[in-house]
Amino acid sequence: MKLEPRFLEKIANSAIQEGIADIVYSEFDTPLGRLLVARSDKGVCLIAYPGQSQRALLGRLSTSLSPRIVLSQQALAKTQATIVSYLEGRTSSLDIPVDLSLVTSGFGRRVLENVSLVARGRVTSYGRLAQECGNPGAARAAGTALGRNPVPIVVPCHRVLPSTGIVGGYGGGSWRKQYLLELEGALPKS
Amino acid sequence: MSSLPPFWLLVEQHGDELMRYARRLSGDDAEDVLQEALLKALRSYPKLGNGDHLRAWLYRVTTTAAWDLSARRRRRPEVLIDSLPVTVSGSQEQDGDDFGSLIEQLPQGARAALTLRYVEDLSYESMGTRLGCSPEAARQRVSTAVRSLRKRLT
Repeated sequence: MKLEPRFLEKIANSAIQEGIADIVYSEFDTPLGRLLVARSDKGVCLIAYPGQSQRALLGRLSTSLSPRIVLSQQALAKTQATIVSYLEGRTSSLDIPVDLSLVTSGFGRRVLENVSLVARGRVTSYGRLAQECGNPGAARAAGTALGRNPVPIVVPCHRVLPSTGIVGGYGGGSWRKQYLLELEGALPKS
Repeated sequence: MSSLPPFWLLVEQHGDELMRYARRLSGDDAEDVLQEALLKALRSYPKLGNGDHLRAWLYRVTTTAAWDLSARRRRRPEVLIDSLPVTVSGSQEQDGDDFGSLIEQLPQGARAALTLRYVEDLSYESMGTRLGCSPEAARQRVSTAVRSLRKRLT
């Protein structure tokens, strides 16, 4: 006897309505592959690209935030629609609240908050970003903080390029960074 | 900082066997029982000190939910008297640990009856031969032991 998705969704929704599900997650397909997305009551706290262990990702949430984690496609349907629509180029805004609770370093948080100010279609450099965070010599540390961004796409760490002008590295792989920058008009379509 | 696994992974890992167990306890009310049990478990989950014996804990919560539902409906759950309130099929090593910890407080006779019946999977005839009693007496011993175990789990 296998538990039916309908039954599991019903339990998850009851838990959410009662306020005892601290983290809700879902997985769905996008042009950038299947994403795992999790949110707390403050906002989206994790977006993971394919290739990472689901167990490890949820374990990180459990250890760092709360073990009261449930799966619900329905509860994340709106977030899913917003992300998919953006990545398919049908909308140009990603109006999704973000929860950076997984970021424990003060500098890391400043980096992610500052990169969120870089508008769609614009890019910045690691050095400039470090400077804006009040630490002009910390370009490498800024890069590390961006590499640990738990909410890629929504917190646009892809809008930071090396001063050499190439696309540079990206946690989800360079092709995804290229895709996002082309989608946003920061790079010409290849 | 929690050392507990994500709750939903527990649901995915044990949900099917808990549903089978709930069905044995409560028949057609199994879905209601399991839903109530999982919500109850989720409410108290962060208060658990560690991640030990989570499967046995979920069984206890499901048992309590079945009895609560039954009490609310003013009738006893539809259970067979020799229906064990835990599952002992699956990983023998894990079952041995879980089951052993569940029955360790029971009297020696009850522990022996449950072990022969549910771990060694003996028939009542074979149990009678092993215990030197009739099959009916063996059945009675298992029934008494199951009652004791149920009492402890509720």
